[in-house]
Amino acid sequence: MNGRRLMPWALAGLAALASLVVAFGATAAPMKNERISLVTDVGRLNDRSFNQLAYQGLLRAERVLGIRKQVYESRTPADYTPNLTAGARTQSALTIAVGFLLGEDLNRVAKQFPKENFAIIDFPYEALADKPQNVRGLLFKSEQAGCLVGHIAVKQLIREKKRPILSAVGGIKLPSVDAFIAGYRFCARRVSRRAKVLIGYSQSFTDSAKCKEVALGHISRGAGAVFQVAGGCGLGALSAAKQKRKWGIGVDADQGYLGAHMLTSAVKRVDESVYATIQAIQKGTFRGGMNTTFSLANNGVGYGKLSRKVSRALRLEVEALKKAIIRGRVKPPATL
Amino acid sequence: MSVTPAAQPPPQQEPTTLAARFALYQRAGGVITPLLTTLLALFIAGLVVRFTTGASPLDTGRAILDGSGLTWFIPESVMDIRSVAGTYDDWPSEAEARLNAEINLQQTLIFTTTLILTGLAVAFAFRCGLFNIGGQGQFFVGAIVAVAVGAEVSGVGRVLHVPLVLLCAALAGAVWAGIAGILRATVGAHEVITTIMLNWIAYWIGSYLFSLGGPLQSDRSRQVPISNDVQESAKLHVFWGDFQGLHVGFFIAIAALVAFYLILNRTTLGYGVRAVGYNPEAARYGGISVSRNYFLAMAISGLFAGLAGAVDIMGWQYRYGQIDIQQSDIGFAGIAVALLGRNTSIGIFFSALLFGALLTGSNTRNLALPIEPELAGNMTLIVQGLVVLFVAADLVILYLWRFRKRLGLPRREPKAVGS
Repeated sequence: MNGRRLMPWALAGLAALASLVVAFGATAAPMKNERISLVTDVGRLNDRSFNQLAYQGLLRAERVLGIRKQVYESRTPADYTPNLTAGARTQSALTIAVGFLLGEDLNRVAKQFPKENFAIIDFPYEALADKPQNVRGLLFKSEQAGCLVGHIAVKQLIREKKRPILSAVGGIKLPSVDAFIAGYRFCARRVSRRAKVLIGYSQSFTDSAKCKEVALGHISRGAGAVFQVAGGCGLGALSAAKQKRKWGIGVDADQGYLGAHMLTSAVKRVDESVYATIQAIQKGTFRGGMNTTFSLANNGVGYGKLSRKVSRALRLEVEALKKAIIRGRVKPPATL
Repeated sequence: MSVTPAAQPPPQQEPTTLAARFALYQRAGGVITPLLTTLLALFIAGLVVRFTTGASPLDTGRAILDGSGLTWFIPESVMDIRSVAGTYDDWPSEAEARLNAEINLQQTLIFTTTLILTGLAVAFAFRCGLFNIGGQGQFFVGAIVAVAVGAEVSGVGRVLHVPLVLLCAALAGAVWAGIAGILRATVGAHEVITTIMLNWIAYWIGSYLFSLGGPLQSDRSRQVPISNDVQESAKLHVFWGDFQGLHVGFFIAIAALVAFYLILNRTTLGYGVRAVGYNPEAARYGGISVSRNYFLAMAISGLFAGLAGAVDIMGWQYRYGQIDIQQSDIGFAGIAVALLGRNTSIGIFFSALLFGALLTGSNTRNLALPIEPELAGNMTLIVQGLVVLFVAADLVILYLWRFRKRLGLPRREPKAVGS
């Protein structure tokens, strides 16, 4: 009896629910399931640095924002154009090129697909030959992160009553590498006029033996802390620091997991930049023909986990310095 | 299989030198062994796929085939492109799928072009009993010279500029390899050692030239360690495709294959080279200058590799950079191409096509497997590595085969193999 009387209601309710789902699905589906393409450079996905961080940002966007990810690994430079083209041709809401190596190819592809959106990490859009209006550059104020770790390193060495000699091991002399080192040197000297910064380049982002060699050279000249700015190669510099019982300072990702010799890391949140750009796409606020700069102010760069040996006073001091940089009272330079 | 095995080489004196023995194994077995080798490698790669990722090996193979664009030739199979359907679930248009196959085929042939030339660079020296590991360095030198002549020389017109760049790059490659040839011919320094050393010299020269502030570094983007683009007049004509399409360098490579065959088989020079390759002592006894042939074989090898560098620069890349030098391994891939192709021109064509297809087909762009992209990229390497491994291993199999004969075990008749 009861069941029969309830039946029409139940049916009606079900129909209402179904129509709601259909309506909701129809409006929400194109919003939610954007396809986002990521094109790596020849460093490929597991480079423990740049490409990997970008991929982590994409994975987070997949988890949290519900986008559909599409990853194109470039094994040779011949893959750049076809990969970018594939991203555009599959109607990705956004195609992200990881790194300056893809600049020339992105320039060409962006011109061929003027209606598609592109972003390129670590490269200002105006440096592309034709300044395409559908490309957004994602830039980092790496010198701010470099400044913080430089300050920490000098203070720590002085507190340990050691000579404040710092080492910086770069990969290839590039503006994105030099920005870290410039900030590092600037703030090291700001702490103490006695501070000396040894700078060397390994000419590689992949061969860790070369970075180790450069770092060992610096250590033999008295360096007490080694800052690597060389991606996978730099892991060699950090292992030299470990071997010689000096401080190591990581780059890009928080490399504190490498061991007790790690003082801290100069963090460049490539993942954050990817995530934020995808978010902008979803909100409809993405615009090409300009750059986004990630800095301390929007948490785009920063410092990683501090070693347990760093005193509480120094921790507070770093936070104060961070605020001073955000307010513009300390301005680390971006070039050497 | 209805194919009959190729005739065994006629019974002859056991060759004495290592190179001669190697050459014999290379000739033995005809077309069957390389084919079986490739199939075996792909089969094992399929097993690896099965056990590491759980994906079906057949689907994987099919996906690689689709991704290589070779299905473009077969209309029926283009109609149901599984891999494309897998990747692009809301991308149904048949025309789009066909365009995709077309683009992939162009990429496959672009790789094939370079691989043919670097393969020839290894094969020519091999026919003279020399092992040219310096293809990579000769490729660098060719590419560097192509960039220098292509970008810095201007106002000569396309008709002159293109041949000029090709000639300079090929000569540079020849000189680079010729150094190793001269050293071998005069003081007996082994070419394996010297070519590897020359590889590194070319590597560092290139790294210096393109580094920030280096002589060949771009004027326009001062912040990036790459060269200027080559002039329009030095670019090879792209005759197929809008997105990094196929350039006429493909025909240069085909012409090089023909030249390779003609030089080796129809000229006195080729006769001398082969004679030295079979047995240097006998050749010397017969009045052939061994040292002269060592030098010429290396120089001609370098010519091919230099041409490979030039064709890459002029056909699709248009510029060269520090990172390109650090990441390039196409010269080394030429060794595998030559080994699988048995140092013959027709063999090199097909093995270059195979490696080109593998390289394009197993790209994450095309592999629509239920594997995470980090894995897919490494699977590519696994497949290629297995092919190379088995190419090397088939020499062992051939050796064992001959060993069995020597022990007097009964040989199976060709008929039994066919049934």
